[in-house]
Amino acid sequence: MKITHAKQSRSPVSFNMTPMIDVVFMLIIFFMLVSTFASVENLQMDLPDPDSSEAVTAKLTDRVVINCLPSNPASPASGRTIYSVGPLHVDSLDDLSNRLAAAKVATPNLQVVLRADKRLPYATVRKVMEVIARNKIQVMNIVAHVKGGEAG
Amino acid sequence: MTPSKGEHARFDPSHAAPTPATRRMRRRKLPLAMALNLAPMIDITFLLLIFFLVTTTFKRAEGVLAAKMPEDSGVSGPALPISPIIVRIRQPEPSSGHYVIQIDNAVRQPLTFDELAQFLVNFQANPGFDRQTPVVIYPEVDVKWDYVVNGWNAAVRAQCANITFAGG
Repeated sequence: MKITHAKQSRSPVSFNMTPMIDVVFMLIIFFMLVSTFASVENLQMDLPDPDSSEAVTAKLTDRVVINCLPSNPASPASGRTIYSVGPLHVDSLDDLSNRLAAAKVATPNLQVVLRADKRLPYATVRKVMEVIARNKIQVMNIVAHVKGGEAG
Repeated sequence: MTPSKGEHARFDPSHAAPTPATRRMRRRKLPLAMALNLAPMIDITFLLLIFFLVTTTFKRAEGVLAAKMPEDSGVSGPALPISPIIVRIRQPEPSSGHYVIQIDNAVRQPLTFDELAQFLVNFQANPGFDRQTPVVIYPEVDVKWDYVVNGWNAAVRAQCANITFAGG
């Protein structure tokens, strides 16, 4: 029996990359839009997460960020508390007060953004609030998670 | 030279007069003038994609609850002119997640911060009370900051205009 093979035309094998490039560009544009790079002055911590939070995202000018977080997250009440003004660590509340006073002289309308770990006891944060008030800073912004949605 | 008998004449298009068919063939033979090499672009694109995939960490957005500080003194504010609503927050066992809200002179106490917000809204409807009535958040020293902010947030939700911290 004679078997005849149909002669196939020799078309070069090509890989159509257009849809792949489309998808990859879409992904890149998505990540570029949703990414907000972590600010060095916002130290990583567990922020308070109120029910139906009324916290609003705001771009504050003339502000100084104070971070308070426990040195030992396992027992936040008993361990030492780490304070920082922006990215700069301060050793004590007196040091914190001095820095705030210097910032207040440079910027009279200074606002304070208070970022405190939600596990800290009130007494610890209260001391920082007293330092803020002693330096005659008029507005204190308490940082908490906003309601619902997520952001990059 | 004329082909001998039995020998077929070979068609040589280069020497033949250009007909439309030969023109098409010549055109097809031309080399491709431009070709875009996509490989480097795809390399860079993939590098960018991998960078963003690796570095992106999704986290909850953070916002602020603004609070005006007392102007005269730092530690304790001036005496309040009218009787404020005092909201006490305590944690019977600080290690546990259980908290107790207690409002001075109130018959029925709110159990959660949602109820506290509703309580404050209802309280403002009473004669002699309104949004300007001071609300004092009075947590015990060992209460977690999370609950303190929750109490403050509940008062903000109830649209109270004068909220202060006390205790500590």
